Amino acid sequence: MLRGFVRRPWRLAAEASALLIAVVVAFPLYWMVLSAFKPAGEIESSEPRPWTLAPSLDSFRRVFGQQEFGRYFVNSLAVAGTVVIVSALVAFLAATAVTRFRFRFRTTLLIMFLVAQMVPVEALTIPLFFTMRGLGLLNTLGSLILPQIAFSLPFAIWMLRGFVKAVPDALEEAAYIDGASRTRFLWQILFPLVFPGLVATSVFSFISAWNDFLFAKSFIISDTSQSTLPMALLVFYKPDDPDWGGVMAASTVMTIPVLVFFVLVQRRLVSGLGGAVKD
Amino acid sequence: MRVRRGRSRSSPRPLGSWTTPWIYLAPALVVLGGLLVYPIYQLGLISFFQYTQAQVSGGEPTTFKGFGNYAELFSDSQFWQVLLSTVLFAGACVVSTLAVGCALAVLLTRVRAVPRLVLMLAALGAWATPAVTGSTVWLLLFDPDFGPVNRVLGLGDHSWTYGRLSAFFLVLLEVVWCSFPFVMVTVYAGIRAVPSEVLEAAALDGASQWRIWRSILTPMLRPILTVVTIQSVIWDFKVFTQIYVMTNGGGIAGQNLVLNVYAYQQAFASSKYSLGSAIGVVMLLMLLAVTLVYLRLLRRQGEEL
Amino acid sequence: MKLAPRFAVLLATAAVVAGCAPQTSDNSASDKDETSGTLRVWLFQEVGNDPKAKVVDSVVTAFEKAHKGTKVDVEYIPIDTRAQRVKAAFNDPKSAPDVMEYGNTDTAGYVHDGGLLDVTKEFGAWSEAKDTDPTAKQSVTVDGKQYGSPFYVGVRALYYRTDVFKDLGLQPPKTMAELASTARKIHMAKSDLYGLVVGGAYTYGAMPFVWANGGELATAKDGTYTSAIDGAAAQKGIKAYTSLFTSDNCPAAKCAVMGGNDTITAFAAGKAGMAIGGDFSHSAVEAGKVKGKYAVVPLPGVASGSVAPAFAGGNNIGVLKSTSHRTLAVDLMEQLTSKATQASMFDAMGFLPTFTDVRDAAAAKVPFEKPFVETLAAGTKFVPASPGWSEIDSSLVLPTMLQEVISGKKSVAAASKDAAKKMNDAFSSAG
Repeated sequence: MLRGFVRRPWRLAAEASALLIAVVVAFPLYWMVLSAFKPAGEIESSEPRPWTLAPSLDSFRRVFGQQEFGRYFVNSLAVAGTVVIVSALVAFLAATAVTRFRFRFRTTLLIMFLVAQMVPVEALTIPLFFTMRGLGLLNTLGSLILPQIAFSLPFAIWMLRGFVKAVPDALEEAAYIDGASRTRFLWQILFPLVFPGLVATSVFSFISAWNDFLFAKSFIISDTSQSTLPMALLVFYKPDDPDWGGVMAASTVMTIPVLVFFVLVQRRLVSGLGGAVKD
Repeated sequence: MRVRRGRSRSSPRPLGSWTTPWIYLAPALVVLGGLLVYPIYQLGLISFFQYTQAQVSGGEPTTFKGFGNYAELFSDSQFWQVLLSTVLFAGACVVSTLAVGCALAVLLTRVRAVPRLVLMLAALGAWATPAVTGSTVWLLLFDPDFGPVNRVLGLGDHSWTYGRLSAFFLVLLEVVWCSFPFVMVTVYAGIRAVPSEVLEAAALDGASQWRIWRSILTPMLRPILTVVTIQSVIWDFKVFTQIYVMTNGGGIAGQNLVLNVYAYQQAFASSKYSLGSAIGVVMLLMLLAVTLVYLRLLRRQGEEL
Repeated sequence: MKLAPRFAVLLATAAVVAGCAPQTSDNSASDKDETSGTLRVWLFQEVGNDPKAKVVDSVVTAFEKAHKGTKVDVEYIPIDTRAQRVKAAFNDPKSAPDVMEYGNTDTAGYVHDGGLLDVTKEFGAWSEAKDTDPTAKQSVTVDGKQYGSPFYVGVRALYYRTDVFKDLGLQPPKTMAELASTARKIHMAKSDLYGLVVGGAYTYGAMPFVWANGGELATAKDGTYTSAIDGAAAQKGIKAYTSLFTSDNCPAAKCAVMGGNDTITAFAAGKAGMAIGGDFSHSAVEAGKVKGKYAVVPLPGVASGSVAPAFAGGNNIGVLKSTSHRTLAVDLMEQLTSKATQASMFDAMGFLPTFTDVRDAAAAKVPFEKPFVETLAAGTKFVPASPGWSEIDSSLVLPTMLQEVISGKKSVAAASKDAAKKMNDAFSSAG
């Protein structure tokens, strides 16, 4: 966009540094994948080399053999998937309410949604433990899903406001004049228009649900079949004697789904984040 | 004309009644009420009681302590030290993240499509990396025995997690690495939304790059910058996983504790749940103060909530 | 600013109403005693756990055969995070196991938390119990009642590398001063080895130094404990231990964070000339690179030829109050700690039996155990039998003190004084 009036040598320098920075930023990820494929002796060598001549799947075999890693993977996917879908729908409705209607306590509610983002999750583990126990959800995936929905909602609502606001009032009025019901307008007109924004916000809820190890650690006490990936990762990371190959293989398996998700939504994410803060 | 009058008198929507927004809000309010507001209420409650493991598991009755837990907290010198390092550490993280994010956003606008895509993908990769994973990978990179960083820098078996500052620095690097992409992408999207005629006109008038950034972009980007700043403050103030994993729960003799980890350790390691809750309440109040400043800024800019 | 009053309203509505108490558990004993179903067992995950699991499996198979319709579900939990797991189990009886292994230092705390079942009657009626070593029995006893059955006792002694000692013409140290000088000699001659590998988070490796110098953790008077860790003798011991964290033995940058397991891992991997390890570390060391190249002697005391008092560690197996299979669970506890199980557990893991007759037979069979039995005979020490100890242990009071000294943040006097204050708080709050 500034291309027309940036001089050529400068642009080359800028492009070179962009590529260099990309390499630095991607390096930890490269090292992770590399270490996962290194044979056992090579990671724990005092001459770390940025390549390996004998890639091996041993670490991955250990990861999938030692624990029910496949099962944890499915559990994590189920938790993150449910959280993304439910919180997107709930946030969409709430964002519509606070942007397209004027009512008493609207501002108060908005402030509450902002404040709610600041709650330190870790501090709420104790009361949540009792709530989950009361609901009979301890040791089930439900105990991970429900709090994650609650913690991703405020940010999702806050971000979606911009998208809902951006849909012109005239469109809504036209829809009603055409005889559309409010439900029809909401789901068949407004929802598709706001969809890119939903994608952008779902990135955040997906990540936080996928990464969570605090709730998993506190609420999954006796039934290890309900455990999730981060917990499985920590098993390999024993502070006294970390199994780096196992940790890195598990990390790779854990990172790939998020990466795929990101690449899929990349375009929408950029335009989405722009839209969210443009208003 | 008639429609307009009708609207302003009763409700803003043609078919709107006062119940509709509340119906839309109901699911969100139920979830938040049950899983956020009620636990916060409990948190506040616990912070006023004597509440240790014996009380939780029913071995002893709970007793009301009033502000006793807060008094104990404020008289503990470690709390003030942790508070100070939290503020400094979060501040350093916010400033570095914003600086890196903004600089790279500007850089993105100066390069052609291919390098832009490469940098964007690398940044998304860092963003997508789960915090637990990122922390362990950075630990491996800086491992005294097997890490490539010490090898490249010729540091021998220097341990990064031993010194207080160097441990904080290592965690800061990881935090910046995984949080600058949000700032970069958002600011980049914001710059792209600035009409290019404005910038071209300024360039034709002979304005320097710095001046364009300061006099044109900054004012136009202010809402965006406010948003990313406040989000960074919220996130960095609450950093937990990175400290917990990278310094093994707070570092040697607790030198790398931040409030969030400190509260967790007090509550769960020492089972002083009430003290942990009091720390949680203090954190909440501090972040509330930040919010007030934020709202004030928004209002001053004439922005409506 | 108009927002302020709104916030005040929000805060006020969320404010505490002093009449309501926070939630608690009702952890009263379960009145059910089912005779079939699933029994959940939590045991500790050891370094090199397979032999342990094998012995446990055979006990479980026999148990399941003897009790039709029962299934035993054994889970091995990591020792590092046991405190949180166990607390969560006390908080939610539904998630709790029926039977669990626990460190004998936790007995008083767990009883205070209301988690363990009083098995005095059953323990008294059990024919094998009469041969239980009195100190082991003491470790399951609180206020005259038994809360479990001893599983094994553990004491620590000095492991050293016979090949390294031979190379350098060294003799096993006879005094604590010699221990330090021998360690430095090893590191000087072989810079890739720690002389004596020590850990800043290795409380039970450090305590013998305090005790050997005449110090105490705490002193009891009328049933209440007062910390003595800042006493002059104790400070001398702390100084002796922390002075080993220097670049001429075990550099602070690496050793300050180590715990007991780390030091054993380092020794087993051939990275240290000496280590303070328990009899229970035997199989881990055997599985390492140093197999056949090491020997064990009692940790020397201050005077030549004396033995530094060791910590009488060990684990017990207890039944949780919340179990709904009381009879079955107690029976399983007895099977898991029976003479036969302890004898095969000794063969598999080197865990010293808690029955004096079984132990003597074991020591006669395996010469390796001699230094440990000698150490036990020379007199051992135990941590204060106060519920406060669990808190002191899990909030890392002593590791923090050691690390503060090692990293030069505080002097021995200042660090031990702070630790004493924290200990006294814990003793008094736990009552």
